Amino acid sequence: MIYLLWAAIIFCTLIIQGSISLFDITPNLTAVLACYAGVRGKEIKGMFLGALIGIVEDSLSGAFLGPNLLSKGLIGYLSSFVYSRFFVWTPLLGMISISVLTFIDGFIVFMSRSLFDKMPVGIGTAVFIIAMQSIANAPLGILLRPKNIQ
Amino acid sequence: MPKQRLLLLFFIIISLSLMTYQSNRHHLLPLKSLDHVLNGFHEIKNSLKDSITAPFKRMLLREEENSKLKAEISRLLREQQSYRETLLENNKLRELLSLKDREHGYFASARVIARDTDQWSNTLILDKGSADGITKDMTVLTDKGLAGKITEVEHSYSYLLLLSDINFSAAARVQDTRAEGVISGTGFRKCQLKYVSSEEEVKKGAVIITSGLDSLFPPGIPIGYISKVNKKDIGIFQDIEVTPFVNNNKIEYVALIKKEQ
Repeated sequence: MIYLLWAAIIFCTLIIQGSISLFDITPNLTAVLACYAGVRGKEIKGMFLGALIGIVEDSLSGAFLGPNLLSKGLIGYLSSFVYSRFFVWTPLLGMISISVLTFIDGFIVFMSRSLFDKMPVGIGTAVFIIAMQSIANAPLGILLRPKNIQ
Repeated sequence: MPKQRLLLLFFIIISLSLMTYQSNRHHLLPLKSLDHVLNGFHEIKNSLKDSITAPFKRMLLREEENSKLKAEISRLLREQQSYRETLLENNKLRELLSLKDREHGYFASARVIARDTDQWSNTLILDKGSADGITKDMTVLTDKGLAGKITEVEHSYSYLLLLSDINFSAAARVQDTRAEGVISGTGFRKCQLKYVSSEEEVKKGAVIITSGLDSLFPPGIPIGYISKVNKKDIGIFQDIEVTPFVNNNKIEYVALIKKEQ
């Protein structure tokens, strides 16, 4: 049941992601979802859900399978790892961590595509896009609090 | 090495292998069929969005069209006003032209450019002066009748002393009874017909014209009509109030008549 709910949430996120843009830049909401999966669960569950999000996104993007699978799985793992081992969640840390994780996600996707396929955009543009996505995702960090924090 | 990190490493290796495998071959897209489902959702979302936003879009379009039409109406009204003004001016000039044909001593036409700054004197400033041949004491008419006379002439403009000014006077007569008198201004809208003998029969509404006996104004120019006759407490002469035909506030163009030699 929980996985059906997750599937529905992933679907809705992809629909929203495909519908909005900020300065011609599509927000990276799936990264937020992967972070959420990591923050609310353990490392493995976060990685597994992140990978699931990534595999769906890769399949729908029409490119090859892997970049989002790797990046979302990694940030699902990392988001859980960060809060369980290093930091105690605060709204500011939530904002900073989601920005950094979004940046890592974007960077991994860009690098994977550049290495295994072809470079999708110039490096400068890629940095700008990833930075904008990170900034746009930052406010959502306030909402992603771990389970044990009330 | 803990289990989690081992799994992570395994996951990374699997992902990289997968990408390496695909780099020189066709792409593996196991969930590609989800694309149709997602696109279907996108279509539903778009139709829902359209049904919500369409009335607002129509409203905005109507608002835009409305403001454009308002601007157009305002422009047309201004244009219409301008045409009306031109038409009125045209009529006035036509009347002046007819005056030119009617009056033998017609000399020139002039336009009122200002009123005298002194609010106690009934004087207008005309746009023609000595450079145009205007001289002092010229008779000034409108299509309605006598307006006044020229009292002062400068190089390019002249002063018209109106009929209603207290300093204005002219020899006049009642048109139907031929009773003679002197028409004088009172300083306000009305004039006074002086020196009409009390024996003369003067009726309210009778037209007053210039008599020409003062050798200043040509005879027969309409001045006004009798609006009030006071026969009580009168001595030798009657107290007669005359309302001029010419409304001082509406004078725009005038004709100047020179004295006949």
